[in-house]
Amino acid sequence: MISNIQNNKKITFFLLFIITFILYFYGKEIASYFDAKWIIKYPKHYIFPISKYTSLFVKWLMDEATFGIFSFRDLTRFIAWLIQQPYNLILALISKGFLQGQGQDAVEILPPLSWISVITIIVSMALYTKDKILVALVAFAFFYLVIFGQWESSMVTLSSIIIAVPVGVIIGLILGILSYKSEILERIISPILDLMQTVPVFAYLVPILVMFGFGPVSALIATIIYSMPPMVRTTLLALKSIDPQIKECGLMSGCTERQLLWKVLVPVSKPTLMVGVNQVIMLSLNMVIIASMIGAGGLGYDVLASLRRLNIGVGFETGVAIVVLAIALDRLSQAFVNIPARKRKKNISFFKKNFNIITLFIFIIVIYLLSPFLPLIKNFPENLVFNTSLFWEELVKYININYYDNLESFKVTLLTYFMLPIKRFFLGIPWPWFITILTITGWYFGKLRLAFLCLVLSLFIVVTGLWEKAMITLYLCGSSVLIASMIGIPLGVWAGVNARANKALTVFIDTLQTLPSFVYLIPVVMLFRVGDFTAMLAVILYALAPAVRYTAHGIKNINNQIVEAALICGCSPRQLLFKIKLPLALPEILLGINQTIMLALSMLVITALVGTRDLGQEVYIALTKADIGRGLVSGLCVAFISIIADRIIKSGSNKLKDKYGMI
Amino acid sequence: MKNFFAIFFSIFFIGFSSSLSAVESKDPIKLTLHDWTGQLITTNIMAEVLKKAGYNVELVPADYIAQFAGLQTGDLHVAMEMWETTGRDAIDEYTADGRVVNVGSTGMDAIEEWWYPTYMKEKCPGLPNWEALNDCAEAFATPETSPKGRYLGGPVTWGGFDDERVEALNLDWEVIHAGTDAALFAELESAYQRKAPIMLWVYAPHWAPSKYSGEFVDFPPYTTECYTDPSWGINKNSAYDCGKPRGPIWKVASSMLKDKWPGAYDAVEAFTLDSNEMGNLVASVDLDGNTVEAVVADWMSSNEGRWSTWIK
Amino acid sequence: MKKNPKLICKNVWKLFGNNPKDFLLKHNNNPSDDTIKKEGYIQAIRDASVEVFENEILVIMGLSGSGKSTLVRCMSRLVEPTIGEIFFEDINMGEISKKELIEIRRHKMGMVFQHFALFPHRTVIENIAFPLEVQGIGRNEREKSAMEIIELVGLEGRENYFPKELSGGQQQRVGIGRSLAVKPELWFLDEPFSALDPLIRKEMQNEFLRIQSALKKTIIFITHDFDEAIRLADRIIIMNEGKIVQIGSPEDLIMKPADEYVKEFTEDLPRERLLSVKSIMTKDQNSKYDVTVYENEKVFKIVEKVLTNGIVRVIDNNNKTVGSIDKETVSRFLYN
Ligand SMILES: Nc1ncnc2c1ncn2[C@@H]1O[C@H](COP(=O)(O)OP(=O)(O)OP(=O)(O)O)[C@@H](O)[C@H]1O
Ligand SMILES: [Mg+2]
Repeated sequence: MISNIQNNKKITFFLLFIITFILYFYGKEIASYFDAKWIIKYPKHYIFPISKYTSLFVKWLMDEATFGIFSFRDLTRFIAWLIQQPYNLILALISKGFLQGQGQDAVEILPPLSWISVITIIVSMALYTKDKILVALVAFAFFYLVIFGQWESSMVTLSSIIIAVPVGVIIGLILGILSYKSEILERIISPILDLMQTVPVFAYLVPILVMFGFGPVSALIATIIYSMPPMVRTTLLALKSIDPQIKECGLMSGCTERQLLWKVLVPVSKPTLMVGVNQVIMLSLNMVIIASMIGAGGLGYDVLASLRRLNIGVGFETGVAIVVLAIALDRLSQAFVNIPARKRKKNISFFKKNFNIITLFIFIIVIYLLSPFLPLIKNFPENLVFNTSLFWEELVKYININYYDNLESFKVTLLTYFMLPIKRFFLGIPWPWFITILTITGWYFGKLRLAFLCLVLSLFIVVTGLWEKAMITLYLCGSSVLIASMIGIPLGVWAGVNARANKALTVFIDTLQTLPSFVYLIPVVMLFRVGDFTAMLAVILYALAPAVRYTAHGIKNINNQIVEAALICGCSPRQLLFKIKLPLALPEILLGINQTIMLALSMLVITALVGTRDLGQEVYIALTKADIGRGLVSGLCVAFISIIADRIIKSGSNKLKDKYGMI
Repeated sequence: MKNFFAIFFSIFFIGFSSSLSAVESKDPIKLTLHDWTGQLITTNIMAEVLKKAGYNVELVPADYIAQFAGLQTGDLHVAMEMWETTGRDAIDEYTADGRVVNVGSTGMDAIEEWWYPTYMKEKCPGLPNWEALNDCAEAFATPETSPKGRYLGGPVTWGGFDDERVEALNLDWEVIHAGTDAALFAELESAYQRKAPIMLWVYAPHWAPSKYSGEFVDFPPYTTECYTDPSWGINKNSAYDCGKPRGPIWKVASSMLKDKWPGAYDAVEAFTLDSNEMGNLVASVDLDGNTVEAVVADWMSSNEGRWSTWIK
Repeated sequence: MKKNPKLICKNVWKLFGNNPKDFLLKHNNNPSDDTIKKEGYIQAIRDASVEVFENEILVIMGLSGSGKSTLVRCMSRLVEPTIGEIFFEDINMGEISKKELIEIRRHKMGMVFQHFALFPHRTVIENIAFPLEVQGIGRNEREKSAMEIIELVGLEGRENYFPKELSGGQQQRVGIGRSLAVKPELWFLDEPFSALDPLIRKEMQNEFLRIQSALKKTIIFITHDFDEAIRLADRIIIMNEGKIVQIGSPEDLIMKPADEYVKEFTEDLPRERLLSVKSIMTKDQNSKYDVTVYENEKVFKIVEKVLTNGIVRVIDNNNKTVGSIDKETVSRFLYN
């Protein structure tokens, strides 16, 4: 009976597959036979002018919408003003100094903190955690910034991070808590979060600029929008997974609702919340390049400017500055939360208790007072600044001159035997059939709801006339994700079974995720020319991380007893891996692939910069033509693709977990 | 009460504004900086001139296209270089309702055309005449385009009608679009290092024509009819059978500039440089390694007669 | 002696599922087990009525899923009963406001949890002082009270440890201490010792009895373990599939099980160790035998005496004769 059902399933799948192939090969013939060209290409005059209406709506919102006493724009400008104030303060403190007056009339009332002070503060924070490796890491990171002459820019970037991260964390926390309390709110917020994470930033850059003004604040807001969703998600997850007994205990102790929240639920879930904070920091630093396009300045601007001038070396050094900043901030914040709790000592004076802080304070004041007299304090001496940019340039040049032909033949092979067939496949399938398949898949994994979702979202892509670009997007992402998985999963397995490899790979992966893609995009263009292949390489590099991470996590988290049972049964290490570990880690690996897809899609806009013809390009064109509606609509299409992929894979993963009884 | 917040802000800021001098307002005029040297030079010259007139000036790094949103809302005030070729759509879009205004030409003309490095002349002696293109198409081919020549065009957003040109002039070439100018010049750099064949879209004023030695291809010169009238030119059935137009580089400004700092508006309007002059300035920075500030200071001291008339 | 009920449950039902109230109403507040199952509801408590007397230890027993935890949570209103009423000291718990409920919990109730439910981010003393902290009691004062409790539960010297630095037994001492911090009148313990190993469990039970003899609280205690129940209980409630099948003293349950389920529950117990002489003796105030045993002694302790003497006299704590017990009775009791 059961095998019968299984067989039926297999036959159905086989049939669907055959039909797909037939349609792919003979789609054109069939279409011309029935004289129904619409099967292949969605007719132009049925395209819904959604983008036009969106543009009109946004225009109306910006120019006319009012709440009676103040207009929508007044409101947004007020918010911008609110964010501007702390930002200005921090910026003045660590970067620009306190100025009075405007433009060239400005006089400096107080100078900014010296680089020595900033490093001292940060290193003291690391010292406070009592973690020697962390101290070394942080010191290394900030000295890198000084020695490579990145100090000024990195302080500008740091200022925006210092504002964006707490704001993102707090808003995320609040939204997470609210949606924990109200299921309705959770349902409303969840899809909005999806959109925030998947609509490419370029798509809403222009509306944000109009609303919040051109400058660092808009950049901050874009950063917050992009980096906040994981915080909401982890907050919700953390609160939901608290042991109900703990909650009951709080209640039985007579907590009011507020006490329960702030004294029990939030502190108890702190370790999980920190994962969210980590994500916010990483994603904020991911945004520095785009933020710099709308006036944030800082390291992002340096990367952009140097690479447009083809200054690969400087671009690389600056990119690495972003990476070390990200890693240092991340590790520091993690350590701060996990400070080994100290036994409280009683009866010590305020002075003794805060001895370290007071010393630090005095030190900083001394440095501050000295700074007008000692130029060394004000600025790190320029002749000591390190410069390796020539090395990187020469390296790329060397590879270019000596290995270009080898690389070229490698590329051509991969293009003809791997990428082009995938491209032809996606472009060849008639859209009605593709949507049918999607809907069936949705139904198989998630019944009616998912089927409906797949249907509606993919229809949206069709009626906006972006089907073909969406297919190119799929092809590009698909091939990148395939290769990224092929590289990432084995790496993840390795990290999962070998602790040392795990450590090394973590750093490698953090680097890949925070190194601005622009930094490697340009050298890759030099070695592989513009085109899909280059785009694919960039996407793979960026999207590799989750495949590795989730795989490692899945492998590591297998119940040890199961492993022991397998060993007792006489498994060789190889058998253990392939027969036990991999199958059990599969649900987790699937989630990793899911994240890989998300990242690949979010990278699309950047690949448009090397000449792809996908939705990313559509978004980019909309940006350059300042077409708000077009940008948003094509951004939505990208988001919808990722939402469809996400939902299908997640239901698949859940189905598997369910089967293994792992939920 | 609609401008409740506006009033609120102005009260807030009055405390800070210092005494007004001869100019209309001491609030800083914000000029945008982009990432190519020529633009940095023009903007810095304009900034220096405005300072001489007593205005407060602030230079803000901004994206070439994204800046329009700022100009429209009055967060930014002047953009010194808007190229006809690459900025036309944005100019049209934003000037339509009058919140952004076109302040006229900088006096410089952009050249945009097919360009190749000098070393390619050996393989294709007929160049720069466009009629030689077909004979040496193969010399410019890559595995993907072979036997056709490969021409690396600008990003599709730049327009340029290269696909149409190839068709109209019956060229055995394939047009590949780069996504950005960074990618465009990365390929040039790469090919130049290897002395490999390349034909691509180069524009001037830009550092590339001064850094790399090479030439623009000579197409039949552009006329308006060439683009509009198929019967014009060599191919009687097709338009675009000629080279690219040489479009002016515009100055654009927020309408706020004229309202708040009319004197500064006049100065921006009066600003002109010519292409050769600019080419020399760019070369002085990019090739001789001088800083933009130094080059601009130099220019200011030797051209006092010119700029002083702008701020009369 | 008249016993005062501290807490009364009247016809409490708890169903899980969609809109269980309407469902119950539809079936006249008395649907059959089958109907409940068929309509997709889970019956956690079915028509439970019980009185908890002041200062008694009432133990709730039953198989996993029989509704013990849910019943206790209904009593403390951590879970809202679907229908039915609960009175705590004549206060109708269903009618009081949130604020009043919080007040009751702050001063009159305490609860110990199976998995300790300690706050990992707080030290021992902070955990124990937590209920005082939420009442807004100042730091010094609450730490002083907490220290007393720490001594009571035997954790002196470890007040600044974090939960993860303690053994399981120590952790549950913290849990017990925390639940006692407010000096509750009604004390709930949901399988407090089942996560501990047998030796520690025994030790904790003694500890618990010691604390109870000092504090005299009204206690509702859940356990799986009949030995534990008999050691501690004044009365035992046996639950099965949400129903209360029997309430009675340990002796009652063994001697007069209400049904097969209870019988199975008690069958394999070493009865001679659980029952006292009182429950098997023959009542006879006039017996004259010389050898005496106390009525509260467990049977296994007197077996030898009876077997060697044939018959013995039973006296109570005041040395008053209450009955007799002979060889036949003992062997019948031991061997059937
Ligand atoms: N929140 C809930 N939602 C749905 N069903 C529940 C819920 N809580 C308890 N139940 C169900 O109610 C029934 C009684 O559960 P309860 O926890 O009271 O059992 P228990 O006797 O305490 O079991 P154990 O000895 O395992 O703790 C069980 O069938 C359980 O599945
Ligand atoms: Mg229970």
